[in-house]
Amino acid sequence: MNSSKPAGAKGLVAEVVRKQYFWGIIAIVLLLAVNVFKDPSYLAISISPTDGNLVGNLIDILRAAAPVLMIAVGMCLVVATGGIDLSVGSIMVVAGAVSMELLAGSNAPDSLGAAFIAIVVALAISGLLGAVNGVLVSVVGLQPFISTLVVMLAGRGLAKVITGGQNTSAVNEPFRWVANGYAIGIPVVFVLAVLITIAVGMLVRKSALGLMIEAIGMDAKAARLAGLNRRGLLMTAYISSGLLAGVAGIFATASVMTVDVSRTGYQLELDAILAVVIGGTSLAGGKFNITGAAIGAILIATLDKTVVFLGVSSSATPAFKAIVIVALCLLQSERVRALFRQRRIQRPTGTAATKKETVSA
Amino acid sequence: MFAKRRFISALALTAAGALTLGLAACSAGSGSEPAASGGSGDLTTIGFVAVGPEGAWRKANEANIQETFSKDAGFDLKYAPAANNDQKSQIDAFTSFVDEGVDVILLSATEGSGWEDSLERAKEAEIPVVLIDRGIEPNNTDLYVTRIAPDNIAVSEGVANWAVKTFPNGANYFTLEGPAGVSVVNERNEGWDEVVGADPKLVKLGAQTANWSTEEAKSVFETVLKSNNNNVQLVFAQNDEMGLGAVQAVEEAGLTPGKDVKIATIDGTKNALQALADGKLSFVAEYNPLFGETALEVVKKVLAGEKVESSIVVPSDTFDSPEAASTALPNRKF
Repeated sequence: MNSSKPAGAKGLVAEVVRKQYFWGIIAIVLLLAVNVFKDPSYLAISISPTDGNLVGNLIDILRAAAPVLMIAVGMCLVVATGGIDLSVGSIMVVAGAVSMELLAGSNAPDSLGAAFIAIVVALAISGLLGAVNGVLVSVVGLQPFISTLVVMLAGRGLAKVITGGQNTSAVNEPFRWVANGYAIGIPVVFVLAVLITIAVGMLVRKSALGLMIEAIGMDAKAARLAGLNRRGLLMTAYISSGLLAGVAGIFATASVMTVDVSRTGYQLELDAILAVVIGGTSLAGGKFNITGAAIGAILIATLDKTVVFLGVSSSATPAFKAIVIVALCLLQSERVRALFRQRRIQRPTGTAATKKETVSA
Repeated sequence: MFAKRRFISALALTAAGALTLGLAACSAGSGSEPAASGGSGDLTTIGFVAVGPEGAWRKANEANIQETFSKDAGFDLKYAPAANNDQKSQIDAFTSFVDEGVDVILLSATEGSGWEDSLERAKEAEIPVVLIDRGIEPNNTDLYVTRIAPDNIAVSEGVANWAVKTFPNGANYFTLEGPAGVSVVNERNEGWDEVVGADPKLVKLGAQTANWSTEEAKSVFETVLKSNNNNVQLVFAQNDEMGLGAVQAVEEAGLTPGKDVKIATIDGTKNALQALADGKLSFVAEYNPLFGETALEVVKKVLAGEKVESSIVVPSDTFDSPEAASTALPNRKF
């Protein structure tokens, strides 16, 4: 896709290639190519004759990416502080449980107000759970791994209490529209996810917030000496992560209008961590890259969809995914790439033919 | 905010209260007749080593056992759910029931293996053990009296037979499975494959796991529809939730569930029967959790010294029409 750009953009291309997430983009393109190989019409996007919306596999991927995108962005901020948030999957199910329970209780299939209340309350509770994480980490001083593990376990329990252990479903058109609707032919859920991602990105990059978060992630002591409010920054990161997980939970449950207390958001924290790492944010904290996390999220969705499209059998699915991820991580590793580069440099001195080729190129 | 949470917990409490009342009403109804016979002597103590919170099916199953072995029926049931699905806590509960000298132990093992020592001890103490739903590995029938459970293979054969009958001219089908490697999944596949595999007109497009989840099933099936150009006539969903997810994927693709794509599921929960009544699902096979009465009969026989079969299959219903579902819906307990 980069080759199609004019030569004038060479500098830009070179910059993108240097980025960690470049390999994520390559992986997405390769996966799509594999799908196209199986079915040449894979990339085709058509306009549905009945409602004028765009339909196609790419659209499905974008829609499936939305929840992961949300939690990946939140995770990115937390990871940048040198922490980790294992509770995002559980916060998703709590948000889903709260909204489904409220909607089922209000029993207003077309009420915009009911949907609005459900969303606000679900987000408020998600934010509160994020704040619990924040307090445990910044005030109590527990390890982020342990604090968020506590909320992860408690969250799923809380969801079970809220729904009475049942998988609650509800009917509400406006709420359902959030995950299944279209705005000018494009899935609303993806538009929302992108807007939120951009908003978060602008907020942290156009202000000093991003720098400050990186600072406490790189060296907490130096940051404190520089006068940064570590507690406030940690709270901000964890509350944002909680809120974004709440959004993801709403997306996930609105898609089927059912909350599955044992499955909604189950193990999605791992997907989020993966997306963040693919995007080039180090788990050791410090520098973070929201664009990278977004690309990681889209890659995960592409991978999930590819597995189904190719008809990989259920038992082989985890292995298939693992191979793709391992290959990607190897490509991203400086050391492995250096190894390849060395071999490439050595080879031309060996044979004259290849040397000529390199010269002519 | 705080008021909101209080409201929710109040809601949960009310719901729990309503449920308890409902259950109490049920047990009062079913327990009234055997009360006369049980009134003569002391209560028979039963130790129930149970699985505990797991899902709607387990909840219905264990509540049903608890309400059947009521005090009115002449039993004192000691309910010991596992802590977090942990086998260790089950073995502890089992051992303490043996030490206590209960009359009968009912066991729903979270894990099949590792029960030999405990069962030996119960045998030495001459306490009969009845397995509820879950079997043990290796299946040594000397160690227990009987296992009462619905038969997964038979249930999925039921679905398969319906599929063969409904599509005499053949069809393309897709299977939505539970997590790979779980025994339930293997058994449900086995029963299905045995019948459908013998019919060359039913073509398998593929199988993919949706981890028992509605959301994943929707996502998986929308892609399956695209990769097969909507040329799928039948879905075998191994549980209700996944079937309901497939319904939504079909609707979103602009097709009509029940007409263009027929979806069959296993479990028979309230939600699935509602969908069947609405014509969205086409077939629901029940995996019957309500076998307290069967267990009660077995326990009575065992206490009277009669012989019982080493495996008792709980009969499960099937629902193949909206009418059948509508009739069953009002009395659905799970």
